[in-house]
Amino acid sequence: MGAYALLLTLFAPFLGALALIFVPNREALLVRMVAATAAGLSLLASFYVFFAYDPDQAGFQFVSRYPWSEELGIAFYIGVDGIGAPLVFASTILLFAGIFISWHIKDRAKEFYIFLLILAAATIGVFMSLDLFFLYFFYEMSVLPMYLLLGVWGSHTKGYLELTDEEGKKKRDSVGFILNFAANSKEYAAMKLTLFLSVGAVCALMGILLIYHFSPVKTFDILVLREQAQFSGTLATIIWLLVFFGFASIAPIWPLHSWSPVGHAAAPAATSMLHAGVLMKLGHFSIIRVAFEILPETTRELMPIAAVLCIFSIVYGGFVAYFAKDTKYVIGYSSSSHMGYVFLGMAALDYISLTGAVIYMFAHALATGMLFAMAGWVYDQTHTRDIPSLGGLVDRMPFVAGCFLVACMASIGMPGTVNFIAEIMIIVGSWEKYPFQVIVAVLGIVLTTGYLFKMMRGLFYGRLSPEGHHAHDAVGIVDRLPLLLMIGTSIAFGIMPVHFYNVVRSTVEPMLDRINQVAPLITQNSTGLLP
Amino acid sequence: MTFDLVLSGSDLLLLAPEIFLTIWLCVILIIDFSLKDLDHEKLAYLSVGGVLVTLITLMWFDYTGVSGTLFKNMFVLDRLAIFFKIFVLLSTAFVILISVDYVKFFRFFRGEYYFLVLMSALGMMFMASANDLLSVFVTLEFSTFGFYVLVTYLREDLKSSEAGLKFFILGVFAAGLLAYGISLVYGATGTMVFGEMASHQGSYGLAIGFVLIFAALGFKIGAVPFHSWIPDTYQGAPTPVTAFLSIAPKGAAIAILIRMFYVALATFKPMWVLLFVLASILSMTYGNIVAIAQKNIKRLLAYSGIAQMGNILIGLAAGTKRGSDAIMFYLLTYLFANLGAFAVVIGVSNLIKSDEIEDYNGLNRRSPFLAAAMLIFLLSLAGVPPLAGFIAKLYLFIAAIEQELYALLIVALINIVIALYYYLIVIKKMYINEPHDPTPLTISTPLKTAVYVGLAGTLILGIYPKPFIDWAVAATLMFSNLAAPTASVPAVTSLVGG
Repeated sequence: MGAYALLLTLFAPFLGALALIFVPNREALLVRMVAATAAGLSLLASFYVFFAYDPDQAGFQFVSRYPWSEELGIAFYIGVDGIGAPLVFASTILLFAGIFISWHIKDRAKEFYIFLLILAAATIGVFMSLDLFFLYFFYEMSVLPMYLLLGVWGSHTKGYLELTDEEGKKKRDSVGFILNFAANSKEYAAMKLTLFLSVGAVCALMGILLIYHFSPVKTFDILVLREQAQFSGTLATIIWLLVFFGFASIAPIWPLHSWSPVGHAAAPAATSMLHAGVLMKLGHFSIIRVAFEILPETTRELMPIAAVLCIFSIVYGGFVAYFAKDTKYVIGYSSSSHMGYVFLGMAALDYISLTGAVIYMFAHALATGMLFAMAGWVYDQTHTRDIPSLGGLVDRMPFVAGCFLVACMASIGMPGTVNFIAEIMIIVGSWEKYPFQVIVAVLGIVLTTGYLFKMMRGLFYGRLSPEGHHAHDAVGIVDRLPLLLMIGTSIAFGIMPVHFYNVVRSTVEPMLDRINQVAPLITQNSTGLLP
Repeated sequence: MTFDLVLSGSDLLLLAPEIFLTIWLCVILIIDFSLKDLDHEKLAYLSVGGVLVTLITLMWFDYTGVSGTLFKNMFVLDRLAIFFKIFVLLSTAFVILISVDYVKFFRFFRGEYYFLVLMSALGMMFMASANDLLSVFVTLEFSTFGFYVLVTYLREDLKSSEAGLKFFILGVFAAGLLAYGISLVYGATGTMVFGEMASHQGSYGLAIGFVLIFAALGFKIGAVPFHSWIPDTYQGAPTPVTAFLSIAPKGAAIAILIRMFYVALATFKPMWVLLFVLASILSMTYGNIVAIAQKNIKRLLAYSGIAQMGNILIGLAAGTKRGSDAIMFYLLTYLFANLGAFAVVIGVSNLIKSDEIEDYNGLNRRSPFLAAAMLIFLLSLAGVPPLAGFIAKLYLFIAAIEQELYALLIVALINIVIALYYYLIVIKKMYINEPHDPTPLTISTPLKTAVYVGLAGTLILGIYPKPFIDWAVAATLMFSNLAAPTASVPAVTSLVGG
């Protein structure tokens, strides 16, 4: 039953995309209904998987395995552990919400939904792959639809990338501009994103090939490799660095982040949601799945690299977000800043902090999804994303303004949302090992409050700007449903995190025991932050 | 050496596909001459029918395990040969289908077109069976003659004549190199048959001879530094001929390369590995970098083809059974993706009379089907999952890493990203740019069939490659003892006898 639910989660979007090919483009409603049905089925199945996951049993559950090529040692092998299950759940929530957010797309809606479904299905595939080949297969597959989604349905970022300070002097995002030949178009953003991620992907592929070649059994099976492959010395370091930086480029860790805000800014709302919500988590997840599982000792030695780089991510992202004037640019940089928290949680290699990091990925997916959805709504209504030229929209769209406030609160880590739980766990768990980083992270929260409220004020309060005169609120069920779904989930887990915590903790504990080489605890979940 | 040409019934069976195809192409020619009023489209379907019958015969041979040698080991029919014959015939059928509309633009000799295509195919079938140097030479030239005519088929077009002339001069030059190489090898070993050379001592004559032969075959497959004819010839030739040229002769030449280097030169592997590594690195890098600057889709596919050959040479550089399996699987995926892409190019150029990439602007709005098909073919060539090209590339990489060819692998991985860039540029034009002229485009049934076959092949080989991988693995069972490690043998000295 569970195994079938997992297969359904993965294949429902694929089959939806396949079915859409045969739906004529002029049947606009049918196209949307097919996409929504596929996403809805996937959401229900992953809901079941997430709640049916048994934390007492731990390990990989709902496993199914079909041989794919014995010659190369590849099997189609899927299953989720306590880290995969919540991320699969988050992907399907965002996909479902994204379908409704993009309900009003007119231009080539059919193709849009096909690529969106493929993108989401591929990310879901990564989160449940237990075979290195398929992990890479789905990973690379998720990158390409992004190109078309950005390029065709995106919007130009021209003019928004230039940042000015109070006196009107130009500031520039230095790293973002190294490869930017004054081309602020969506085509540029799409190409940069695709090539950047492909470079990362081939680095990771080299690492995967080295793992394959030097393991005693020629296989891509992660579970077998975890038990039997022993890597040490220079080879292990090389593989670890390739895997870490290859996957971290999508995470995105500083200084490999420059594709990300540009991409966010150019993408249509639903794509930004999936991109920031789940695509970026592919990086962290793949690092955990490949480096943490297969190279535990090297992870222990080299993970401080992440602890150092995450400081730059947090501070740099936060400051650029504070000075940016484009709403999506603010949210994009805030995402890359928040991903630093996840790296901090991972770097500390502590039960509580790693559990927190996984919960943070889920929480951030919801919070940033909401923010992007509403930034997209504001853009659709006013045709601008320039914060200084907007204002007073609360009169025109009270519902969206209210949701925006909740999303900001969630993003900051307000108690009552799941973000709070995640944040506090990362901070508490990492304190012992990295006190300096924790101080930076706490100051980063202050910075987050600053830029989010600044954006909130700029968009919704003050005098109503001329652009906002014809703006409308989200009134229909179609427009309100995705926002309410994400808010509801965030608050529900914020109030009742026990199952979530248990699920993640059950997987994190044995993994960290291997990395830190301690004897496993006798009873799981015996001690922890929560009862 | 005396030849006694006594053929028994079982010997004739080995030759049956070739004999049948010979008769068939004569029939085509006779029908064309005698029935003047016959629609040439019917000739095309007749040709496809003949090719398919031959194809099915060969599949049956493969299934029942028919094999053997003829004419003092000159001609061999084994599973390797059968694989490449099927490959050649598959691409021939494909090419005839995509020619149907194009041939209508020819003012003369429409019937002979199919005859010449079939004759080249016949030559390439013999190439797949060549088992000694003499038959390599004869079959190679046999297959090329048809192409010399086909390339210049657009008689009024200057570009086509230029293409033919370049192809002819360089082709003849390559033939000269081949003949010279063969004479050197014969001088050094005293034999022509691959199997008998394996036991000979290395010498300079052998080394230089084989380098010359490699150069001649490198010309055929268009590997750098023997690639200079490719872009102009591809651009000038009629597009279906370009498509044919881009796949079938390359497959047949790869068959000869595999057989020659794996059988005759197995003991000198450390030496030729270097040759292939260099050719592979140069082809990939040169092809991909120059492709970025192309404005014409046929030239772009020409340079991308050079790069794809670089990828294929990775398998020969590995020099193992895994390497040859990977090559064969790669060729299959390349067949569907490349011919599919050419089918789209022909479809577009029949309608808008242009091969400029600029004119692909907004293809998605004009014909969503053609644009989606081109998207899939180009992404398969780029090696993006879940399409066939990805698994094929990965297979080659696995073969390379097993031989620890790290430098080659790193270059190949970097090239994936470079290649992605120029394929994405075409995709950008099709999907993102707006069309100059938004009239919808529709293509004819035979072309549509070809595109569907290409799509099916690209997707099936990508999602469920197991039967095809198993087929390739079974075809090269004779190389299973070849996986000797490379590092332990001192490199240069073993070949020159020092």
